[in-house]
Amino acid sequence: MLLLMPLAIPVLGAGLILGFHSPRAATRIALLLGGVEIVALGAVVWQVHAHGELQQGRYLRADGLSAFFLMGIAIVSGLVLVYASGYLRHTGEGRFSSPRWFYALVFLFLFTVISVCLSANLGFLWIMMEGTTLASALLVGFYNTEGAVEAGWKYLIVCTVGIAFALFGTIVLYLAAVKAGMNPASALDWVSLMNAAPRIGLDPHLVKLAFVFVIVGYGTKIGFVPMHSWLPDAHAEAPTPISALLSAVLLNCAMYALMRYDAIVSRSVGPAFPHILLVIFGVMSMVVAGLLILVQQNLKRLMAYSSIEHMGIIAIGLGLGGPLGLFGALLHTFNHSIAKSLLFFSAGNIRHNVGTLRIDEIQGISRTMPRTTAALLVGGLAIVGLPPFSLFISEFAILSEAFAQAHYLVVILFLMVLSVVFGGFAFHFFRMLCGEPDRHPENSKLIPSEYIAMGMAAFCVLFFGIRIPYVFGLLLREAMAVLR
Amino acid sequence: MGLVGIATEKILSSFSVFLFLTILLLAVARRISTSVLLFGLQSAIIAAEVLATAFQEKLPQVYIVGALVFVIKVIAIPRAFFLLTRRLKTVRDVKASTTPTQSVFVAVAIIYLSYAAVHSYGGAVHVPDDPLAAAVSLILTGAFLMVSRKKALMQMLGLLVLENGIFLAALITTFGMPLVIEIGIFFDILMGLLLMGIFTFRISDTFEHLDVSKLRRLRG
Repeated sequence: MLLLMPLAIPVLGAGLILGFHSPRAATRIALLLGGVEIVALGAVVWQVHAHGELQQGRYLRADGLSAFFLMGIAIVSGLVLVYASGYLRHTGEGRFSSPRWFYALVFLFLFTVISVCLSANLGFLWIMMEGTTLASALLVGFYNTEGAVEAGWKYLIVCTVGIAFALFGTIVLYLAAVKAGMNPASALDWVSLMNAAPRIGLDPHLVKLAFVFVIVGYGTKIGFVPMHSWLPDAHAEAPTPISALLSAVLLNCAMYALMRYDAIVSRSVGPAFPHILLVIFGVMSMVVAGLLILVQQNLKRLMAYSSIEHMGIIAIGLGLGGPLGLFGALLHTFNHSIAKSLLFFSAGNIRHNVGTLRIDEIQGISRTMPRTTAALLVGGLAIVGLPPFSLFISEFAILSEAFAQAHYLVVILFLMVLSVVFGGFAFHFFRMLCGEPDRHPENSKLIPSEYIAMGMAAFCVLFFGIRIPYVFGLLLREAMAVLR
Repeated sequence: MGLVGIATEKILSSFSVFLFLTILLLAVARRISTSVLLFGLQSAIIAAEVLATAFQEKLPQVYIVGALVFVIKVIAIPRAFFLLTRRLKTVRDVKASTTPTQSVFVAVAIIYLSYAAVHSYGGAVHVPDDPLAAAVSLILTGAFLMVSRKKALMQMLGLLVLENGIFLAALITTFGMPLVIEIGIFFDILMGLLLMGIFTFRISDTFEHLDVSKLRRLRG
């Protein structure tokens, strides 16, 4: 029952919101439902923490890893809903492009990502993962401009094809499991697969083939280079709250799916094969995205490439394994999502006030928008991994794991990319913050909803850098226990 | 053995050949409507194969999957495509970036490549080479159609062909996934097509054409 609540609320809520034509009413209902949803998710997380795994029927299950990601989803979606309530004040009525459609689709999207985290069955997980693409495609194309339509189409096609490969990988794994003597009815259940993993691994070819397809498939949604082509477009063209949701929730959710497969494959054919693939994709994403950050001209594209880079960092942490690598990877999923939300929120404010996101046309915002600038600066310093912000800790953990395992090539590339990214961000931000503003926005004051969302995100980024709260640390440890 | 038994054997032994035929014909098809018909035909062959498998292996839930394939892929999706082409008033040409001759060569190469690829795995999964090679070629053909045809509708069709291949691979190696999962996948496909349909309307509204190769504003 407990596991059904966080799934039922967004689905019913989406239907309910569509019934309210006035933007004000839709916003209020959405905020209310968001609050209820966060409570429901909190209840699940708490129950998992207190009593261990929860199972509901054959398809729903929550363990420490799900709880950790659900907590992240709850926090980020809360921030996004609050921010969106102010952001949408300029949006008019259009087919699928009105505030009520916006909130309804956001709740459907939340339904799919929460289902991914709660699914006990890899087939169900795939269905919901495809659902995330479907629910967010209209949101990416929300503005209906040429760019938005192009980005939406590209997103839909690239991710659907990518995820079709993940389906093929799932089928191959299913085949390997059935061949190893598992009951076909339970051969897609994650727990049974984990239990039977050593037996499945007796014939390693099929399992390895499955993992290659899965990493390419779900890697497309994570945004691994070279399957990342949809990501910058979708992030740049979507409304800002959606960019934050994609970057902070969707990418993590795809990473979560990959973690589940990685656990099975590592246990059945040994960690060497999946982990080397993860490190290769991770390093490739980091290097390519890091270099592309230097040449970006659009603020949101810059942040999208930074997301690819950070997904690379997480993949490296996961691929290195070990206590510190895993700790860093999981912590980084959370830290990155908060810092990236903060950055996107600031970018949204800049767009509203300056009217553009082109970096060369934004000048002197430190004078016209001091508070937004402060948020942008905190987010920027955090995202490049400077202490005392939270991302420093997770990146440092991953880096020390790489040192401990003597992967010096990874260490060198990692540090080089971090310095290039630092240079890139410093260069772009310096141009935007300083200089003489060529236009003075009339009303650049933050409204309360923006204040709350950005303030809380900034607080989290700073606070988690100074100390990791006790309960959070426990949840993190429970999540690690599932994977090891 | 009754008449049904004979039909089953014939279907199971020959459907790969018919699938290769549809692949070659898809490569030369110049009109969208022809391609849609070929997709329908291909799905009908697969539906027959599903039903034959259900009969031979005595798996009642596979009959349901077969019926779903028939209703969705043979009837509903082609009809939806015809409706879309009529509403969009688009040119009927698929706008191929390769000549038909080149396409046939690619298709032949795909079929050859698939046989080479499944040769090493066929023994491991106790499945004859032909159906497995047919499944892999369908996947590759779908991908080929998606990259070589510029019309948005043809990209959707390529995706469907690719999905047919994945479905076939699942069917011949494991007699299909559990029923609930199969139904979920069908639902996803339908929703995906619906959304792509919405987007084709938007593309033709905003750009006044359906040539996705001209959507290149977003780069870098």
